[in-house]
Amino acid sequence: MILEGTQAIFFYALALFTLLMAYSLITAPTAVRGALFLMGTLIGVAGLFLLLHAEFVAGAQILIYVGGVVVLFIFVIMLVNVREEITDVIRTYTHQRYVAGVIVAVMTLGVIVFGIHQLHKPQNQRVPILQPVSQSAPAPPDQVGRVSEDTQEVGSALYIQAALPFEIASVLLLVAIVGSVVLARTRRQEETFD
Amino acid sequence: MIVPAFLLWIQQATAQAPEGVFQNLMANASKIGVHQFVLLSFLLFAMGVAGVLMRRNILIIFMSIELILNAANLNFIIFTRYWQMMGRITEHMGHVFTIFIIVVAAAEAVVGLGIVIALYRNRQTVAIDEIDLLKW
Repeated sequence: MILEGTQAIFFYALALFTLLMAYSLITAPTAVRGALFLMGTLIGVAGLFLLLHAEFVAGAQILIYVGGVVVLFIFVIMLVNVREEITDVIRTYTHQRYVAGVIVAVMTLGVIVFGIHQLHKPQNQRVPILQPVSQSAPAPPDQVGRVSEDTQEVGSALYIQAALPFEIASVLLLVAIVGSVVLARTRRQEETFD
Repeated sequence: MIVPAFLLWIQQATAQAPEGVFQNLMANASKIGVHQFVLLSFLLFAMGVAGVLMRRNILIIFMSIELILNAANLNFIIFTRYWQMMGRITEHMGHVFTIFIIVVAAAEAVVGLGIVIALYRNRQTVAIDEIDLLKW
C-alpha cells in the first residue's frame, strides 16, 4: 500500500504514542486523568489520519472530538464525580475480569503473530504493494507548496453522493440536543414546565 | 545526539541491500504496509474492549467506547488510502463514512452523558456494579 521510508519513523512514533495513551486511559485511576488520556489518544489518531493523507478528517477529529466531546466529558466529570476519586478501585483479579483479560490477550497475540509473520515473509509473498508515483521521483520544485485537494474531494463526495445521510445526520443532531436537554432536567425544572 | 545517530542508522539500514536476519527485519520494518496499520487499529480496538469490560466507572466505559469508535474510523481511513493506492477507487467515501461516525459518536456521547447525569441524581454513584436495580 504505502511504501514509506522515513515516514516509518512518524508511523512508529505516532503509533507508540497512541497505544501508550490508550493503555493509560483504560488503566486510569480517576476519570479526570482518563479524559486527558482520551484527548491524547484522539490527537494521536488525528496524527495517523494526517499520515494517511486524510487531512479534512484529521481536522474534523480535532475540532469535534477533542474540542467538543472531551470537553463535554470533563464537564460531566466535574458535575458528577467529585467524591468518586477514592472509591474507584480496579479490582483486577475477579473471575469475570480474568476471563475478559484472557480473551483480549489471546485475540491480541493472534493478530500480532499474524502481523510479524507477514513482516518476515519476503516482499513478493505478502499482500501486493504498489509503489506510489510520487515515491519514485522527487517532488517537482513548483509543486512543493501545493495545497492538498482532500477537502474539495471530501466535500464533493459528502454533498453529491451522501447528501441524504448528511440531512439525516443534521436531524440526528437536533434530536440529540433536544433529548439531552430533556434528560438532564432537574425535578424543579420539570415542575415549572408543567 | 542519540536521535540523529538513530535516524542515520535507520537510513543506512534501509538504503543498503539487506543481508542477514536482523538487517532483513530492519529493512522490512521500515516499509509500513496495510498490515501494520490494521494491527494498530486492532490494538486500539482491543484496548477499548478491555476498558469496557474491566472498568467500574461509567465515564471511563464511555471513553473506552469512544476508543472503539476511533479504531473503526482508523480502519476506514486505512482502507480508503489502500484502495486508492491500488487504483480501485477514486472517490473519498471512506472519509465521508468517518465523518458520519464522528457525528454519531458525538450525538451518542451527548445523550449518554445526559443519562449519566440523571442517573447520578437518583443513585448518587457512577459505579456500574452499584446501579443494579430498576426504578421502584
